[in-house]
Amino acid sequence: MSRKINLYLIEYAINALFRNRSKNIFIMVVFTLLTALLSSMFFITGSIKHELQSTVDALPQIVVQKIKAGRHYDIDTSVADEILNITGVSEALPRVWGYYYFENAGVNFSVMGIEQYAQQYKKSFDTVVNKFDFDELDSSKQMVVGEGVKKIMEKNYYNKYFNFIKPDGTFKQLSIAGTFKGDTQLESNDMILMSTQNVREIFDIAKDKATDIVVKVPNPEEITTIASKIKLLYPDSRVITSNDLHVSYQNIFDYKSGVFLALFTVALFTFFMIIYDKASGLSSEEKREIGILKAIGWRVDDVLKEKFYEAFILSFLAFLVGILLAFTFVYLFQAPLLRNIFVGYSQLKTSFELPFVFDIQTLFLVFFLSVPIYVAATIIPSWRAATLEVDEVIR
Amino acid sequence: MFSKKVVLVFILMVGLSSSAYAQNTFTKMASEQPTLVQEGKAKKWCPVCGMNLKMFYKTSHTAKLKDGKNRQYCSMRCLAVDSHEHNISLSSIQVVDVNSEKLIDANKAFYVFNSKIKGTMAKVSKLAFASEDEANAFAKKYGGEVTDFKTAFAKANASLEKDIAMVQMKKEKKMYPMGKKIFEKKCQNNIDPMAYKEINQLKSAIASDDKLCKPLNEKQLQAVALYLWEVKRVKESKDGVEKVVDKDEKCPVCGMFTYKYPKWVAQIFYKNGKKEQHYSFDGVKDLMKFYFDANAWGNYEDAKKENIEHIVVTDYYSQKAIDGAKAFYVMGSDVTGPMGDELIPFEKETDAKTFLHDHHGKSIVTFDKITKEDVFKLDK
Repeated sequence: MSRKINLYLIEYAINALFRNRSKNIFIMVVFTLLTALLSSMFFITGSIKHELQSTVDALPQIVVQKIKAGRHYDIDTSVADEILNITGVSEALPRVWGYYYFENAGVNFSVMGIEQYAQQYKKSFDTVVNKFDFDELDSSKQMVVGEGVKKIMEKNYYNKYFNFIKPDGTFKQLSIAGTFKGDTQLESNDMILMSTQNVREIFDIAKDKATDIVVKVPNPEEITTIASKIKLLYPDSRVITSNDLHVSYQNIFDYKSGVFLALFTVALFTFFMIIYDKASGLSSEEKREIGILKAIGWRVDDVLKEKFYEAFILSFLAFLVGILLAFTFVYLFQAPLLRNIFVGYSQLKTSFELPFVFDIQTLFLVFFLSVPIYVAATIIPSWRAATLEVDEVIR
Repeated sequence: MFSKKVVLVFILMVGLSSSAYAQNTFTKMASEQPTLVQEGKAKKWCPVCGMNLKMFYKTSHTAKLKDGKNRQYCSMRCLAVDSHEHNISLSSIQVVDVNSEKLIDANKAFYVFNSKIKGTMAKVSKLAFASEDEANAFAKKYGGEVTDFKTAFAKANASLEKDIAMVQMKKEKKMYPMGKKIFEKKCQNNIDPMAYKEINQLKSAIASDDKLCKPLNEKQLQAVALYLWEVKRVKESKDGVEKVVDKDEKCPVCGMFTYKYPKWVAQIFYKNGKKEQHYSFDGVKDLMKFYFDANAWGNYEDAKKENIEHIVVTDYYSQKAIDGAKAFYVMGSDVTGPMGDELIPFEKETDAKTFLHDHHGKSIVTFDKITKEDVFKLDK
């Protein structure tokens, strides 16, 4: 097994590629575009999946809402204390928050109330709380905004402060104390954090009421049991577990993936057409080349090796270029056109950047979908030609 | 025409709002300056639980100790707690009349028990009135039954254990962590809770001295005081157990990697002279199999029962490491671990009981009551 790679064969293979320049350039271009398209679609789905997954992971395990006449109502904060008494619950925090529609930019901000010394249900809030003191922010009428929110505000000339319009029509002016980076892009792009008292004022929420209650359960296997206990305790509540949310997010995503699948099939079908065309037979010129090589003393395995090198060099180069193209297209240019297929599910949500996710599996998938198939499609007809008698081929 | 409409709407609105908010208008807070009978700066707070007396004035009780000192509690519950510790003569007890907000003799008062108004530090509220008519009127509006002090106090005593457990749960899950955070951020590290006799004295010291803590509001003050008084004062001696699982550790009984099942990890720590070592298992069942006969699973000469230093198991609900020898185990439930039917460990017996009920368990056992037969029966 210590046979060395025959460099002369490789040299011959490269020369052979240059000899059929126009044909090989055409194959190279098609191949490159195809791998680029395939891998950029995989990259986009991978990124969005990652984004959704981290969004879902950041969600609390159980959210309890009060439902009245089929609508979401403010819930009594005392409910949190009752839920805390259920065995297996480690935290129950009343949240005071809401969506604030900023008409000028056409976006919804999530305005979230933060209690400085309560437990935070999100890691990113913990860092924010360490950085800013929300008690002080309350007295100095300040707020902390996500990085993306800051940009949107600046675009609308709110550089230092923002005016919230309260339900009674008066203004509530809060100045921007600083920015924070959320766990997910979506979070940093639409979230505003301020003291709970300020949120109550902006949305006119009574002191003993909260928007909803988030519940933390250390043992995930207990979530369903605890959710049903809460439901029994408060029949007028809607209990949403992280699992439910995961399913509904997944549904949206799967629906969008259907479109992706259609694109994917078309691309793959084109590729196989080209392959089939190639595999169905060699041109007489190529056949003659193999015949001559055999006549001057090449063995069958030499011919096959040379053909393998030829195919591999071409397809691997195309594969690499395709991947690079896809990387630049998706992560540098944020996949214009293609991403719209996936990101259309909530027009009001502020846009987000595709996070960089390097998944080695995707690369292997694209590799095995393209390179070996092309190599096989080159070698098999060559092998057929090489096994024929020489005089038969060059006659 | 126009003015008529306005008037009509106005009347309607007033009527609606007054009826809608009727239930919310009742607060336990004193409407004016409350009568405080204790002495010193600490008189603003309940000596038992530390809560603000003004906020819970309408459930407040007072009592005279044998040494002549007055004490004022936030509720009958705290009075009940204190009556077990100090010798209180029942005839000295006074209570705030809900309507006049003045102190009256409790023994002559009429109590409304179990009304819609929530209890202070207890599930059920006990509100006092000077006359039976007033009590009846209140009961008509808010529900509940009218009784006298003796019955109400007896009931408070009977439900004391449950009430304490309820409040304790809330404290552990909410107030202590909050207090700890505030303490670490705003307070001097050297506050010594041992130096104070009662929690209200600690509170008044913190509130009056800006050197100890930066200014706090009432809720924050209560959280800090509770943390210092009930956690720092008690817990400093108590040391928790910990799980130590390396990535290459395999369960000696079933051969599976234990780090993959952090929810189920159970460990035995041995001390052989100076040498310390431990074995990790992916469930209490395998731990028990090993515990009963280590050498049945290979050559474990060093794993002798007498060398066991301590046993660590994972509490099902909190997922924290707990002392296995003191834990309660539920058998025969519908929850399965990586190796099938399990002994599910709990730190508290009440948790074990809840679990037994929720997951159709058969029995609760303590560590020393687990038998070899029971453990092997789980595999059948």
